[in-house]
Amino acid sequence: MNKNIILYSAILIFGIAAPFIFPAFKVQLSILCILIILAITWNVQGGEMGYNTFGNILFYGLGMYLCASVQVGMFFPLGEWTEGGGEKTFVHTPAQFFQGFAVGLAVAAVVPAIIAGLIGYSILGLRGHYFAICTLGLGVAAGEISGGIEIIGAGQGFTTPPFPNVDRLEARGEFFYFCSFVVLVFTFLAVKAIYSTRFKLVLNAIRDNEDKAEAMGIQTMKYKIIGWMISAFFCGLAGGIMGGLVGYIDSTDVAFDGREMGVFMVLMAILGGKGTLWGPVIGATLFHIFKEGFWTFFLGWQYVALGVLIVVIVIYFPEGIMGWLREKYPERFGEVVDEADRKAQVTLK
Amino acid sequence: MKIKNIIITFVSAIAILFSTSVVSLAKVVGDKIILGAAISLTGKYSSNGVHTQNGYNMAVDRINDMGGIKVGGKTYKFDIIYYDDESNPKRAAQLAERLISQDGVEFMLGPYSSGLTKAIAPVTEKYGVPMVEANGASRSLFTKGYKYLFAVLAPANLYLDVAIETAVELNGGKGVRIAQAFEQDAFSQDVRLGILDAAERTGSKIIIDDKLPKELNDMAATLAKVKAVKPDVLVVSGHTKGALTAIRQIAEMKVDVPMLAMTHCDAAKLSKQHGKNSQYALCASQWHKTLTYKDDFFKDGMTYAADFEKLFGYDPPYQSAESSAALLVFKDAFERANSFDQKKVRDALADTNMQTFYGNIKFAEGGQNVDKPMVLFQVMCDDAGKCENKVVAPLKWASAELIHPIPKWSER
Repeated sequence: MNKNIILYSAILIFGIAAPFIFPAFKVQLSILCILIILAITWNVQGGEMGYNTFGNILFYGLGMYLCASVQVGMFFPLGEWTEGGGEKTFVHTPAQFFQGFAVGLAVAAVVPAIIAGLIGYSILGLRGHYFAICTLGLGVAAGEISGGIEIIGAGQGFTTPPFPNVDRLEARGEFFYFCSFVVLVFTFLAVKAIYSTRFKLVLNAIRDNEDKAEAMGIQTMKYKIIGWMISAFFCGLAGGIMGGLVGYIDSTDVAFDGREMGVFMVLMAILGGKGTLWGPVIGATLFHIFKEGFWTFFLGWQYVALGVLIVVIVIYFPEGIMGWLREKYPERFGEVVDEADRKAQVTLK
Repeated sequence: MKIKNIIITFVSAIAILFSTSVVSLAKVVGDKIILGAAISLTGKYSSNGVHTQNGYNMAVDRINDMGGIKVGGKTYKFDIIYYDDESNPKRAAQLAERLISQDGVEFMLGPYSSGLTKAIAPVTEKYGVPMVEANGASRSLFTKGYKYLFAVLAPANLYLDVAIETAVELNGGKGVRIAQAFEQDAFSQDVRLGILDAAERTGSKIIIDDKLPKELNDMAATLAKVKAVKPDVLVVSGHTKGALTAIRQIAEMKVDVPMLAMTHCDAAKLSKQHGKNSQYALCASQWHKTLTYKDDFFKDGMTYAADFEKLFGYDPPYQSAESSAALLVFKDAFERANSFDQKKVRDALADTNMQTFYGNIKFAEGGQNVDKPMVLFQVMCDDAGKCENKVVAPLKWASAELIHPIPKWSER
């Protein structure tokens, strides 16, 4: 336990100091936090519950649009802000900007959670591939529909309020970094707390044998919906922050970006090891470093490298890094190992 | 164990690479002025991204070969750091941030497309980095009060309203019936706004107003409607893919319209790819090689086109020409500012008033170029099937007369 406290405080201190140690990497660090949040929340369904969803991008995109819309709509007419030509210029005062952003984030968290509940009620009855395909459709549909809604900019895209001028060049980067870091810590702690309750056992029961779980009197539907709502809550928050960070929301390329973010969150969780608490965190971190490294040094080959990475993950680490470690060093994971049995297995091979 | 070693090596190699990348380049190293640009080398805008990059590269080489840039009695040369933005605004914003805060770039060139420019502009603006962009035409770029954004091109809403006006004129001053289909992206939607304005001004009616998906490969539904209601003008805009898809399907479905107005015909190399099927298409263009503008570096449009073809093997679309012009603007501004101070260069850019082979360049308050009209050309083919783009409007530069209405498919 003591060791854990040291580990956590080291990470926390690093998280707080990071933007000052690597001032030039603030944006990448913020995006890293967002990626970890997405991987952690995907893991609630994909890892613990065994429901491979491609639909979490829906909540991320919703959060993005909602946060920006609220931030603008609280002080200016939203329709005029996003109107095609954008003839008028509106400027947020610092107070307006931060107030709007705070309220926007709250809305960006709550509304997607409610929507997850509603959608979940109707589609969480699907299982396996059917659920995966259905959720894939959700993300694609949301992108196309939002691209047609004039009040949020439609195909023109939505420029989020520019960061107010506060006489410090670094303020914007720091603000968004700490927003994403705080949300990350919050997400991690919340998920960790949830995983230490019976809730996680129910999710695992659903993953391992849903029919049996139901037969044992567990209301699986209720748990599945609650699990998805929790994911949606944090995905929405991540989306809201990302919208402000990027500064420009495009329906299919930034918000409902199923092709990138939607796939990345699955990849990261699998790379790190799905069904573990730390797996998504490690997976997202390695993935981000890998991606940024290739983008910088092997321009033009980044997607080839990404493809190779996916193949390597699937062939060599089907259980992810955590899963691989667990197999190698089961003692570290608190599993009791029967040495004789283990040796017997080795000789059998 | 072997795998573990590989992983450790791999991870640490990346970590080392990542940490060394902190070493930043300065804006001016030795005799080099380093400009930064995020360009779409992959993704849906990749072909136009390459046109843009070719335009930049050609101008850099030309300016460097012809003596470079003289600032403070010293001669400098241009150099550009490129990144691939994958046609993705999120990526573009990140790359702008990286160019400025990690690579130390203090002057930027624009990306391809309005959407990506919209994503980059807030970043350059925040850092006070002057950006001369050549491919972001959306009007909303110029109403955000940006101080460091300069566009050498005319705003998107002006692209096709000449076409509507011409159609109305040919219709005896009476309003026409317009069918239109636009891709769901910032640029095309702005072209649409221009058409809406023009329609209102001329009393024309819009009878079909369709939206096309991104990555579009099919617009048969719109064309079926066009066949049924027979509008006077069909307007289509959706970057290169939109132009190619429209021509392919119009020919397949034998859709008859008196006037077909589009964008990106030259970037899509329509006349080469679709030959006679693209005949009579009317295209909005920022530039055409037959225009008579001149400068010291590229002489005139025809010489530019010939030199460009020698280097890259194809006729330059206007996207390349305007990108080359962006470098000329930068050179001129550096020399007038006689300094590398961002503020001074910005002020010098704002005072730009010059002629290039691409057109006159003078920036309005919002940063758009107000001194250069759009041109319309029409794809015209001879009997042998060789097709060419000929300027038909404005009359000052017209090298051929507009063919109107377009002959029916049954009569071709």
